[in-house]
Amino acid sequence: MSSHGGNSSAANDPRQPSTAKPYVPPAVSPQELPIDYAGFIAVIFGIAGVLFRYKLSSWVAIIFCAQSLSNMKNIETDLKQVSMAMMFAIMGLVSNYFGPARPGTQRG
Amino acid sequence: MAASSTWSSSSSLFIPREETLWYYIAILSVLSLLGQELSRCSVLANTADFEGFGDDIDDDDFSDSSLITDLPIRSNLPPSTTLTSQSDFETDHGPPLDSSSSSTPISDPTIPNKPSSNSFDFWDEDEFEGLPIEQKSTNLKSPDVAAEAGSSSKVESDSKVEVQVTPPLPKTLGSFTVEIVCVSFLIAFLFNYFSGKKENENIALAWASRFATKDSIFDKNFSLLGTGDGKDTPLLLKEGQNVFKFYASGRRFCQGMLATMDLQSRHDLMSRIYNMIVPCKDEITFEVYMNDDAMDNVVFALAKKKLAKVMHKELRDLQRFASLVTSGPNNRKWVADELMVITESKEVAGDLITETVLDQVFGDKAFPKFGKGFISMHFSDQYQGSHRKMLILKFALPDAKNMADMTRLVALVPYYIDLIGRYKLSPQARPKTEAARTKVAQEVYKELHNARQEALQKKKAEKRKMAEEAEAKLSAEVLRKREAKDRAKQMKKVMPKVKMTRAH
Repeated sequence: MSSHGGNSSAANDPRQPSTAKPYVPPAVSPQELPIDYAGFIAVIFGIAGVLFRYKLSSWVAIIFCAQSLSNMKNIETDLKQVSMAMMFAIMGLVSNYFGPARPGTQRG
Repeated sequence: MAASSTWSSSSSLFIPREETLWYYIAILSVLSLLGQELSRCSVLANTADFEGFGDDIDDDDFSDSSLITDLPIRSNLPPSTTLTSQSDFETDHGPPLDSSSSSTPISDPTIPNKPSSNSFDFWDEDEFEGLPIEQKSTNLKSPDVAAEAGSSSKVESDSKVEVQVTPPLPKTLGSFTVEIVCVSFLIAFLFNYFSGKKENENIALAWASRFATKDSIFDKNFSLLGTGDGKDTPLLLKEGQNVFKFYASGRRFCQGMLATMDLQSRHDLMSRIYNMIVPCKDEITFEVYMNDDAMDNVVFALAKKKLAKVMHKELRDLQRFASLVTSGPNNRKWVADELMVITESKEVAGDLITETVLDQVFGDKAFPKFGKGFISMHFSDQYQGSHRKMLILKFALPDAKNMADMTRLVALVPYYIDLIGRYKLSPQARPKTEAARTKVAQEVYKELHNARQEALQKKKAEKRKMAEEAEAKLSAEVLRKREAKDRAKQMKKVMPKVKMTRAH
């Protein structure tokens, strides 16, 4: 079924080196890129962790940051959102563990 | 050149543009928050040093006084950490207990707190707020006895005072549940990332070594393999941890071919867990960019029944030109029952699904054995995308060990390039296809024309609005003048034209 036999003559050879064109990757605009849901969720949880002082929220933000980083395709466009999420998550953890205790709770 | 490109990428982070300006503002705000938190911590730490400032002096001054012996004794020991029913920040302490009540245990709710008059005089709510109530094993002596007794009795009484202090609770593993779970998940995520990445790379490399190396099917069919333009360039282009691309060019009837391997997100633990619940396959899509002169009017698709219906609904070219075909032409041997054909005419379907293809892959006997990985085929000269004339073949990838299972499926790619490159419609079928294309072209033109007209109308409406707004802004006097001019013009129009003649 293959269009090219094992010991075919030059006349039957489907290859045409003269028509060969090098690969040009298609230009993809940032709008066409798929939405980075993990990065977005990480930012949301990170902000929640900082504002409401929830440890779990900051940890979840860190996990979603890891997911976003692992699925990153275009560093130029994706890195900003991930770095923002990472900063908020780390900020939340710092304020939760090293900051003063939240009123109404005992510092463990 | 390379240096300039690296500089441009790095400079984009440091030179603030519109988008990066907000980014820097966000960074600054986060850093300021961090600074604020740390400063608060240090202030709170320092205030702890000032607690009980000058206690020794005060205690010495008041030790001789006989009036405040009823007050509870302050000790240097830390306050008890037993939890109360009240919240930590809303304390409502009453005055201290007198000598009679202090001797009784606190836990007894029947005895009311009766403060003595003299102790109440010295009670300051603000100063003693939050002080722990201490228990004594023996009753305190009366002021008279205290005055008579010497220093020896003082020592005795001091030794008898017992303060109930509970030590801080030791931190158990249970109090770190969140941290343990999250850190262990992150560690698992990290391990899975590297193992999944390796797994995906192995699948991609297994495919490339089977079909894209020397003397393989693509090497025999294309003169240029790989994404580079040199000799020693990598065959595969890694676009993500789960997306690999293979490019080939330099063949008759086509400009090039791009194979995209879309693998499972094995590197992502969350996706892997999701794929356990909702299974999905590794896919490979071959996109062949046909030459404009090499492909006739062909719109054809072949897929499994469910997918065929979805394709017919969603893909524009199939929607406009093709229809579902259930049986083959002239009751001849046809594709397996699981498959369905979407075509412009039965003639095209009959010509493209040849005896060879039926025997090798799509026939009733061959399909269960060799067509397991087949997903869909779509050939179109009216494709809605970057390129107009396309062949798209989609297959499921087997495991790295069983890559030979898809040899016959991969062989379909060069086979159909040649078949469609040589294929010419019959004189009977051509007018139908061309009529359909002209009709669609007219519809498209009409749509464009309507869109342009709508745009023009919008512009006109906007201009009118602008003019009306400008008129509204004009003062009343200017409006009067305009009205007067308009009247004069109208009067001139209405007035009869009189020809003046001179009498000589």
